[in-house]
Amino acid sequence: MTKNKLFGLIDLDTRFELTKFKLVRMLFKSRWFPLLVILFNLAIFLVILIAGFIGGYSSGNYNFGVMVVWILWWVLLMFMLVPVFARSWCLMCPFPIFGEWFQRGKLFGVKTGKLNGLGLKWPKALKNMWLMNFLFLGTTYFSGFFTVRPLATFILLGAIILLAFIVMIVFEKRNFCLYMCPVSGFQGLYSQFAMSEIRRKDPEICKHHTPKTCFVGNEKGHGCPWNLMPFDFKKNTYCGMCLECFKTCPYDNMAFNLRPPGIDLLVDTPREPKGLDEAWKAFIMLGIAIVFFLGFQGPWGWLKDMIRATTTKGYLGYIAGHTIFNLLAIPSVFFIFAFLSKLFSGNKEVSLKQVFINFSYTLVPLGLGVWIAFSLGIILPNGSYILHIISDPFAWGWNIFGTAHFPWTPVFTKYLGLLQGGIMVLFYLFSLVYGFRLSKQTYGDETQAKLGWLPILVFLTGITIVFLWLFLAA
Amino acid sequence: MKTNERLAVFLIILATIGVLVGVFAIEKYRRGQLYTVQLTARVPENGNWYPRQISVPAGEKVRIYIRNIETITHGFAIPDFEVAVKEIKAGEVVVVEFTPDKKGTFPFMCTVWCSDHHLDMTGELIVE
Ligand code: SF4
Ligand code: SF4
Ligand SMILES: [Cu+2]
Repeated sequence: MTKNKLFGLIDLDTRFELTKFKLVRMLFKSRWFPLLVILFNLAIFLVILIAGFIGGYSSGNYNFGVMVVWILWWVLLMFMLVPVFARSWCLMCPFPIFGEWFQRGKLFGVKTGKLNGLGLKWPKALKNMWLMNFLFLGTTYFSGFFTVRPLATFILLGAIILLAFIVMIVFEKRNFCLYMCPVSGFQGLYSQFAMSEIRRKDPEICKHHTPKTCFVGNEKGHGCPWNLMPFDFKKNTYCGMCLECFKTCPYDNMAFNLRPPGIDLLVDTPREPKGLDEAWKAFIMLGIAIVFFLGFQGPWGWLKDMIRATTTKGYLGYIAGHTIFNLLAIPSVFFIFAFLSKLFSGNKEVSLKQVFINFSYTLVPLGLGVWIAFSLGIILPNGSYILHIISDPFAWGWNIFGTAHFPWTPVFTKYLGLLQGGIMVLFYLFSLVYGFRLSKQTYGDETQAKLGWLPILVFLTGITIVFLWLFLAA
Repeated sequence: MKTNERLAVFLIILATIGVLVGVFAIEKYRRGQLYTVQLTARVPENGNWYPRQISVPAGEKVRIYIRNIETITHGFAIPDFEVAVKEIKAGEVVVVEFTPDKKGTFPFMCTVWCSDHHLDMTGELIVE
């Protein structure tokens, strides 16, 4: 493995700037973008809410809300939006639109000066992923209902949009998105792997530019609503891709780049440090994927019954087991391997905590791979329902696109296991190439890095084998 | 700027209230145009056909709109008019059309063994 090439092939510094094309830059600088996309999604969102409400307690398979949210949206998110385009969902997400409208007093225009609302600063202790970790885990307690009961999806989405609005009245800017939204955490973490980024181009230009309009805003756009300093950040985690900085920078010094996947996993600076909160996010995401896979795509009916709350006792068992598995069991097992890693390396200076945190980022590619594989298991068998429900979104006998009677047609399901296995192996390889680099970062010394890498390698390989077995045997 | 802002506000209203009102208005119009009767299918222990009794005019084309809101499959038949739908899958909607040519009271029923009380899943069609 050469030093700075991914798989010895792609230089990690390779960038392809999409905004070098005039048309793209014009689009990014227009105040109609992403506003129009958000409004379009808001309209779809309303259809989802109506369908969820009307669908009520009936079966989910033919419900527009259930299908679009949990099949289409979720799969798109895992397949393309996050791994390729980072937080591109946040770019077009309709949830915060009312809060933002309230704060700015304007939908299209720019509010100069103080934003409306109480504008409180987010408490320092909560400026991390912990709250989102718990909220996301909490949301998965109800996962058995979301796909079966349209009303559950209605309640969840309604609650999020309401909460976003209230939080944005009280706290400044997009603090809801930064630290509370249940789907924000994993987008942030997995965006570190993404193949795109928004970054400033020439640091020299930024150095001499005062005041920094990308941070404080000007008449063309708002200062970074996600509280980043657009002129200097290195990780995708908290960039919501709102594109305001493209509008506020008078020198066109912001860029939207395509890049090799995974680069942010190596970043560890005082301002954007690796941390336990992100480590736990990685554990939780992996754990939930395992539970979902076993529960929804595995052959165990009793597990499904527990998640779907067939009996109260079983359901409580699921909540307890699920929580312990995600918050304690996986981290504990990982801790043992981190401990072994430090032991093997013979290094005395690095703290065990640092070893544990650094290596937890190896779970980002692996976890993403598991989610993509899991999503394939949803979309290939059930994707054809989508044709049905877009033509008859409320089960009222409509036939908007003439596809309302399209029969249920599983696609490629014969090769599902193989496809899932292939994806798993690919992302396993990503975990390895970044894992070893992380080992070098952690221990510094080449020999220590090699020895210390061994236990982690065993752990990652073990997990991958378990999944391969699940995908190919099921 | 002013016009853009107005346009944006108009669009957000369209995306929210517009969609809401639009959806129900279209449905109301469509139902008024198309259907004579609506039926909801549920197993007897869960509410049975709703309504259990429907009346239609004789000699006129009748459309019955049947909605299965459950997680199991039902069927539908009015033997006296040779109307039959083999399967109404979970969550699905079907529409049957026929012209009743005789007056009287006729039974309609579910034709899929949907529960232990399946045989009670019946109703009455009154042609007047
Ligand atoms: S953080 Fe959540 S609410 Fe905010 S834009 Fe992203 S998905 Fe939407
Ligand atoms: S303004 Fe901030 S959140 Fe928006 S795209 Fe720029 S850096 Fe990202
Ligand atoms: Cu029946």
